[in-house]
Amino acid sequence: MATKQTWLDRWVDGLPKTRMFQFIADHVIVPYWAWRTPVPPQPGGPPPAMQPGDNLQHMMNLVMPLKDKSPIGRAKAALAVAQNIDEIYTGLDNVGTVHFARFVIVGDNLCMFSVYDGDFTNYIRDFVATIGNVFNAVVALIEGGDAVLPTEKNVDAFIAWVHAHDMYQIPDLATGIIEQQRPASTLKPGEKDDLTLLPRSIILQLKANPNVSLGSGYRNYPGFSAAQVRHHAGVGW
Amino acid sequence: MVDPKELIKTIIAAFPDHEAGKRPIHTVGIGVEGYFVASPAAARYCVAEHMQGQKVPVTVRFSNGSGSPKKHDSWSDARGMATRFHLADGAATDLIAMTFREFFTPTPETFMGFFKAARPTPDLKRSPWEKLMLMMQLKHPPPDPLPDRPESGAQGMLDYANAHRFAQLSVFDAQYIGAPLSYARAAYHAIHTFVVTGPDGVRRHVRFSWQPVAGVAKRNPEAAPDNDYLQQELKARIRHWPAEFILQMTIGEAGDAFDDPSAPWPAKRRRVAMGTLMLNAVAENQSTTIEKMSFNPCRLLPGIEVSDDPILKIRLDAYEESRKMRGGTGCPFHGEAANGN
Repeated sequence: MATKQTWLDRWVDGLPKTRMFQFIADHVIVPYWAWRTPVPPQPGGPPPAMQPGDNLQHMMNLVMPLKDKSPIGRAKAALAVAQNIDEIYTGLDNVGTVHFARFVIVGDNLCMFSVYDGDFTNYIRDFVATIGNVFNAVVALIEGGDAVLPTEKNVDAFIAWVHAHDMYQIPDLATGIIEQQRPASTLKPGEKDDLTLLPRSIILQLKANPNVSLGSGYRNYPGFSAAQVRHHAGVGW
Repeated sequence: MVDPKELIKTIIAAFPDHEAGKRPIHTVGIGVEGYFVASPAAARYCVAEHMQGQKVPVTVRFSNGSGSPKKHDSWSDARGMATRFHLADGAATDLIAMTFREFFTPTPETFMGFFKAARPTPDLKRSPWEKLMLMMQLKHPPPDPLPDRPESGAQGMLDYANAHRFAQLSVFDAQYIGAPLSYARAAYHAIHTFVVTGPDGVRRHVRFSWQPVAGVAKRNPEAAPDNDYLQQELKARIRHWPAEFILQMTIGEAGDAFDDPSAPWPAKRRRVAMGTLMLNAVAENQSTTIEKMSFNPCRLLPGIEVSDDPILKIRLDAYEESRKMRGGTGCPFHGEAANGN
């Protein structure tokens, strides 16, 4: 409970929860600042791995808009995955660097979420080599997918395509977004930040990048590769 | 080079109602007792005596971060958890942790600058018009000052953080840290890097945290102020059931900030559950025993060493200066103090 408030204080404090203000913010204030201080969308995927432990348990969060945005279109996507379960699971076993992977349909998007070890491009390259035919069946159902088919003959283009559909991962540390959007090395001598602008930075990034991962996620056993976990558990290589 | 005595004086100056003979910060606190049992994994990483799995008696002092001698339990502020492990031969080691996940600055020199900048100033209430203008800029209007908190260091901290990126995360976190529902429902972080040695002689740079088994829970910031609930809640809780914490140890990698407590490590570092702390009794003689105790983050046992963190190093002498100023119980690092003078 704060210091004594007038009716005007209470009205202004409650304003952000009103539909009127939310409408104005959505249609006027946010577009205005997006125009006035444009924020480019940050690229998807994990940040660069600088140290050995950084290279383990990366997340991939692919959000791929379906061409056919109807129940039939979603069923086709479900069928494309179901018909290739053997290929997918065998491919995952053979790649050997994957902790978890799953396909999910959210709205009109087919999503693939996975946790893998090592470099992103090598991860996708391994997959194309192992189960390129499955990717072809799935990618054919996705908007813009035809440009990279067949994937085994367009490996680099396919890797770029996957990267473009991988969600932006907001830094684990709240203020990391400041450094990401404006590296300290670019500040002029004496130039200061404005920490109170952090909410706006996040709002504008979420306008440019509607689907994001909130940080790199929780790990129960951080710092171990899939191969190490399997070795310690006595179920692998 | 910062003089530890000057550091303590600077800290005390930030709290106008500080009372001589009291701790300069974390002034209000409560002591509880219990025991710690290391996990089977702990001995593989650390040869220190209290990490070998036997039942080790402990004394823990929970505290509010402020240097004010008055209780302000519902204020948004850091909380402290200082743990003393009592060993069989009369030796002891301390682990001092707080609810901030990182420190404000990397060095004693920058800390002096930060603390001077963060000296409390009148916490002005923003007019409705000012709040509206902030909302139009997609900024978060600061909350109105509390009736019993006319001053705060918030603006000074913000100004400092705007000019020093290393302080931004801690200042941002400080804005939202709130007040815990219970001392037993907060996570506490030792923030500094220590070096532990395993039975194989391998030395690892690590950081420690206490994770509450009851879970982390904060008080509703919009609820009416309640300046005296944390100690009562803890007493009532312990009467029914022990308050339990897990000691987590995170292992750093080459390239991590071993000497900078303001820089968190990536979330992907290995974590080891080092043991369980059970707190089952409120200490007797709070004023004569607990409040006279002098904890020190550098009171360590063979098997755990300080890192090159300069803030950790200056705390050795700063805590000793503070002990002398308030007449606390002696610290074994210093001859005079060792005699209890």
